[in-house]
Amino acid sequence: MTEAVERYEVHLMGETDWIGAGDICALCRLDLTAIAELADLGLVAPRGAAPAEWLLPAAALPRLALVGRLMRDLGVNLSGAVLAVELLEAQRSLERRLQRLEQLRAP
Amino acid sequence: MEYRDYYQLLGVGRTATAEEIKKSYRRLARKYHPDVSKEKNAEQKFKEVQEAYEVLKDPEKRAAYDQLGSEWKSGQQFRPPPDWASGFEFTGGTRPGATGAPGFDGEGFSDFFSSLFGGASPFGGGARRAPRQGRDHHARIDLDLEEAFGGGTRTLELKRPDMKPDGSLDVRAHTVRVSIPAGVTDGQLIRLAGQGERSAGGARAGDLYLEVHVRPHRLYQLEGRDVTLTLPIAPWEAALGATVTVPTLGGAVDMQVPSGAQSGQKLRLRGRGLPGQPPGDAYVQLKIVAPPANSPEARAIYEQMRTTLGTFDPRAELKR
Repeated sequence: MTEAVERYEVHLMGETDWIGAGDICALCRLDLTAIAELADLGLVAPRGAAPAEWLLPAAALPRLALVGRLMRDLGVNLSGAVLAVELLEAQRSLERRLQRLEQLRAP
Repeated sequence: MEYRDYYQLLGVGRTATAEEIKKSYRRLARKYHPDVSKEKNAEQKFKEVQEAYEVLKDPEKRAAYDQLGSEWKSGQQFRPPPDWASGFEFTGGTRPGATGAPGFDGEGFSDFFSSLFGGASPFGGGARRAPRQGRDHHARIDLDLEEAFGGGTRTLELKRPDMKPDGSLDVRAHTVRVSIPAGVTDGQLIRLAGQGERSAGGARAGDLYLEVHVRPHRLYQLEGRDVTLTLPIAPWEAALGATVTVPTLGGAVDMQVPSGAQSGQKLRLRGRGLPGQPPGDAYVQLKIVAPPANSPEARAIYEQMRTTLGTFDPRAELKR
């Protein structure tokens, strides 16, 4: 069933937006221990004292969500997921460079 | 609705062991996972594989599914039998590390799955004891670069699991119109307050976070808020300098090519990338295009260049 169309104003998350660790855990389907390990690995820089009170930059959400998906869907452990995220980012950056070089070469 | 052969989707026989099913799922998940796969229709195939695994990995769901019999073929019209899943006992559970979806696992799965294992079925989770805040949801939105630059309005059809008054979950299509702010970048998040999971019992609804993906563009490559364009120029424009017209996302601008410019050289148009604080820049990568020597006059010019510029060696670097 489709409801009537509703219109929503939105908030664009920027570098000044932070999300609570609990909300991040729910969104990325990661537990707090995993978030703490990701902070140790340097994938995210939280602010706050204890992990349960941490705030995390909203900009980190896509990376953390990707870690969660890779762990859940592919059965890789946390270190493997972090490695995969970094390799995927490097791959995308190289693909963009390749695209630019190919445009230079194209007749 | 159409019957789905979960064994066929995972490429295993009906007598496959749990280990064989897991192995096959892992192989197919790696092949079709939308975050890593370049296969066509990867997302759709991944969902099918995920749905099949969701049923076959769980002994209770698998036994109930097997009860339907082995005569069914994928695509056949199907309706659950009236005594569906009677006589089974149901348990629950989550996994450590990356947690399982708490409550509802079948978001995005087929009607076939929903009718057998969704919110209304005995597998659907049942009533919750206390009102709690609705969960936040996370979805993806694909935009063209022009939309990212100029903003606009987008109508989205979202499939949202909503909690019913009895505490069970129900997936409903939900249409929302979203104002896309100008200058949104790839990977950025848009938050729609209160558009996540609704909650029974008067607790606050969750938020919906949309992760922006900007589609590749024919002319421009996006990096953060900066855009890069490859601009073809004539050899004399490169050698002598010229004022050329350059397309940018905000409209065409005139740009000065310095004399002695080379292929691959990048020039910057400050503030001509995506809007923001600060706005991105547009980078123009020069590409010298030689005109063909397809007339006696053109050939004569090239021959004169060979004579006049005979000491020029474009491969001098290779001889070092």
